[in-house]
Amino acid sequence: MRSLIKVPRLSTLPAWFGVLVLEILLLVYMVITQPVFFSSSNISNIVRSSAIPIILGIGMTFTILTAGIDLSVGSVLAFTGILLSGLITHMPRVTAVLLTIVITTIVVGGINGILIGKLGLNSFVITLGTLGIFRGIAYLVTNGTTQSMDTGKLINTLGDGNVGPVPGPFLVVLVVAGVSIWALKSTYFGRDVYAVGGNEFAARLAGIFTSRVKMTVYFISALLAALAGIMQVGRLQSAAPTAGAGIELAVVAGVLLGGTRLSGGVGSITGTVIGLLFLQTVQNSLTIQGVSSYWQQVVTGVLLGAAVLFERFRVQYSGRRKSREENNVTKE
Amino acid sequence: MTSRVSMVGITKHFDAVKALQGASLELHAGEIHTLAGENGSGKSTLLKILAGVIRPDDGTIAIDGSKITFSKVRDAISHGVSMVSQELSLVPHLSIAENVFLGHKQSRGRLGIDWRDTEKRAVEVLERLNLDVNPKDEVSSLPQHEQQLVEIARAMAADSKVLLLDEPTSSLAPNEVSALFKVVRQLRDEGVAIVMISHRMSEMLDISDRFTVLRDSKFIDTSTREGVTEDWLIERMVLNKPKRGVRATQSNEKPELILEVKGMTDRAGAFQNISFNLYKGEIVGLAGLAGAGRTELVEAIVGLHPRESGDVVVAGQIVAHSTRATMNAGVVLVPDDRRQKSTIHDMSIRDNLLLSIHGRPQKQRSKKAEEKIVSDWVSKFKIKMSHPDAPISSLSGGNQQKVVIARCLETKPKVLILDEATRGIDLGAKAEIYQILRELAAEGLAILCVSSELSEIFEISDRVLVMHAGDLTADLDRSSIEESDVVSAATGARK
Repeated sequence: MRSLIKVPRLSTLPAWFGVLVLEILLLVYMVITQPVFFSSSNISNIVRSSAIPIILGIGMTFTILTAGIDLSVGSVLAFTGILLSGLITHMPRVTAVLLTIVITTIVVGGINGILIGKLGLNSFVITLGTLGIFRGIAYLVTNGTTQSMDTGKLINTLGDGNVGPVPGPFLVVLVVAGVSIWALKSTYFGRDVYAVGGNEFAARLAGIFTSRVKMTVYFISALLAALAGIMQVGRLQSAAPTAGAGIELAVVAGVLLGGTRLSGGVGSITGTVIGLLFLQTVQNSLTIQGVSSYWQQVVTGVLLGAAVLFERFRVQYSGRRKSREENNVTKE
Repeated sequence: MTSRVSMVGITKHFDAVKALQGASLELHAGEIHTLAGENGSGKSTLLKILAGVIRPDDGTIAIDGSKITFSKVRDAISHGVSMVSQELSLVPHLSIAENVFLGHKQSRGRLGIDWRDTEKRAVEVLERLNLDVNPKDEVSSLPQHEQQLVEIARAMAADSKVLLLDEPTSSLAPNEVSALFKVVRQLRDEGVAIVMISHRMSEMLDISDRFTVLRDSKFIDTSTREGVTEDWLIERMVLNKPKRGVRATQSNEKPELILEVKGMTDRAGAFQNISFNLYKGEIVGLAGLAGAGRTELVEAIVGLHPRESGDVVVAGQIVAHSTRATMNAGVVLVPDDRRQKSTIHDMSIRDNLLLSIHGRPQKQRSKKAEEKIVSDWVSKFKIKMSHPDAPISSLSGGNQQKVVIARCLETKPKVLILDEATRGIDLGAKAEIYQILRELAAEGLAILCVSSELSEIFEISDRVLVMHAGDLTADLDRSSIEESDVVSAATGARK
C-alpha cells in the first residue's frame, strides 16, 4: 500500500542534506542568541575565510572521488605564495600570477599525477611526500621568513576585496564550483571520475583510460591549490612558508562531512561546499560565543564521527528496507 | 546457416597450468550455444579469450570469415563481441542509464552530456529487454537479476552481434531465470549469436540450440539439440571413472556424533536451511559447483560468515557464532584461498604455524617449546623448507598447505574442515595430503572436505554431501553411489 503524501525517503536524499539542516539550525540559533553574528561584517568574514578551504576542497573532491587523496594541498598553497613573491618583482602582476599557477600546476600535478595515475602508486604515500617536499622548499627559499609584498588590486580582489558589493573570494568560489559541478555532471571526463572511483575494473572494461583520469584529478587539485595560494596572498598581503599548515586535514574533514566517500565513486561538489561552509560557521560561532579555539578542534572531530555514523545507519536502513522489499516481491 | 565466430586450435597456459589445449568453438548467427564442461575444463577461459580479456597463446579467431586478433577489450567490443561476466561489472552508484552507456557512449549535446537523450535511449534499450525501470535510479538499487539485464543492455547498446554469458543464472531464482531466458531467446530471434555457460542441466537442455562440450581443457564434442540428452552430456563432461581410494574398512561400532549443523541459513542468501551430522573418524566430501554456497557454509560454521539462523552443536554443546568460540570447541577450517585467507606471506613459516596458539599460557610458549612444535610438524608432514625462519611464501603451494593444516591441528581439534584443500597443488603433494587426511581420520578426527574435483571427492570420502544453489541436495554413502549421481545432484538435474 502506498501512502498518499509522498515523503522523500531518507535513502534518496543527498548525503549532504543532514549537514545542510544542521547548518540552518546553527544559523537560526546564532541569530537568536548572538545578534552580532548576523552583522554584515561577520557574514562577510565567514564567506571570506571559507573561500580558501572550499577551493582546496573542490580539488580534494576530485581526487577522493577516484578513491585517492591529495594531502599536499596545504604545502602547495604556501609554495605558491612564495613563488609568487619571487616572480612578482620581475614582471607585471598578471603575468606573475598566471606564471605561478602554470608552474605550480605542472610541477606538482606532474609529480603527483604521474606517480599516482600512471604508475599506480599509493596516493596517500605520494602526496604525504610532496606535502613535505613543497613545505620544505618554501622554508628553504625564505629561510623561514614571511615575504610581504605589494599585491596590487587584482590579487587583493581575488583573496579579499570586493567587486561592487560582492566579496571577490565569493565570486572565485562561485566560478570554480560552477565549472566543477558542470564538469562532473556533463563531461565524459567527469563521469569517468565517478566510474573509476566506483568500480575501476568495470571502467576499464568499458574502455575508459583509467590511468589518464586518475592523473588528471591531481593536476586539477594542484591547479586549485595554486589558486588558493594566490588568494591567501591577496588576503594577507604577504606570503609565509607556514601558510596553510595542517589545512589539508580540515579540508578532507569538510569533504567527508559533505557526503563524499573516502572509498571513491560517491560525492558531490555541492556537498563539499556545504560541508566546509558548515565547519567554518561552527568555528565562527564558537569564537563569537567566546569558546576556546581548542574546543573547535574537538567539535570538528565529533562532527566528523557523527557524520560517518549517520551515513552508516542510513546505508543500513536503506539496505534493510531494500531486502525487505525484495522478499515481499519474491513472496508475491 | 552462416558461421559468425570460429575459434580454432585455441591454446592457453597460465604458468605451468594448461587452461586450454587446442580448443575450438563454432558459433552461428541466431543461435543459443551452450558451452558445457566441469569446473576447470576451460569454458570461462575460452569465453574470456573471445571477449578480449585474455590473449591466447595460440590459435585463430575468425569473425564473419575474417581472421582477427584482440589485444584489448575495446577491440572485441568494436567487433561486436560483448561479455556479461560472472561478477557484475557495473559501477554501483551511477545511474542505470549511465551504466548502459558507460565508456563515452552517452549522448552529447551542446553543453556536454545530454542526460535527457541518454536516458531516453537507455529506456529504448531497456524496453527491448522488457525491463521497466527508471533510468535515473542508481543501478545498485536494482535486484541482482535486473542488474544483470542492465549489463546485457550495455551489450545491446554497443550493437553486439555476439553475446557471451558466463553463468548468467548462477545467482538467479527460477522465475528470474525464465525472465532472463525470454530475453535471451528474443535476442536470438533478432539474429544475435549467444554463448552461454551454465551448470544447471535442465536449463541447458531447455534453452540451447547447440552444445559444445569441453573436458580437461580440450574440445570433446559438439552437437545440435537433437539427440542431446542429460546422459549424453554427462558422459562427455565427466572424466574417465575415477579410481576409488583404498580405505581401511570401518569397524562396526556405532560411530560417535561430533558435529551437528542444524537448520543453518546465512544472511547473504548463499545457502538456506542446511542440516547435517559429522561422526568421529569419518571423511565427508562436500561436492557441488562453484557458487553452490559451500564456502559460505563452512565459513559460517566456523563463525566467519554471518548467519541468519541455525546452530552449530559440538559434542552436545551449542557453539557461539565466533571464530574463537568455534576453535575452542574444536572445529577448525583450512580456507580455500591460501593467499587471501590462510597464510600471512611475509611472515616466517614458524610464525605462520604458531598463529593459532597465541592464547596459550606463557609457560608453554618458551622458545624451546615452540621450536619443538615446529620441528615435530615439519618432520611429521615432511614439509620441505630451508629454515623455519624463511617466509612462508618461499614454500611450494603443497608445503604451504601442510603448514596451514599443522596450524589447525595444533589447536587439538575434533573436527577439521578443509575447503578446496588441494587447489593449485601438484599431484605428488596432493597424494601426501590425502594420506595425511586418512591418517588423521584413523586417529579419530572428523573431517569435512569441500572439493570441486569429483575425483578428489571419490578418492577420500566415506560419505558425500552435495550442494546445489544453496540447498543440500544429497547425502550419499560412498559405497553405493555412482559419479553421475553426484553430478546430477550438483547440477540440480534430478531431485
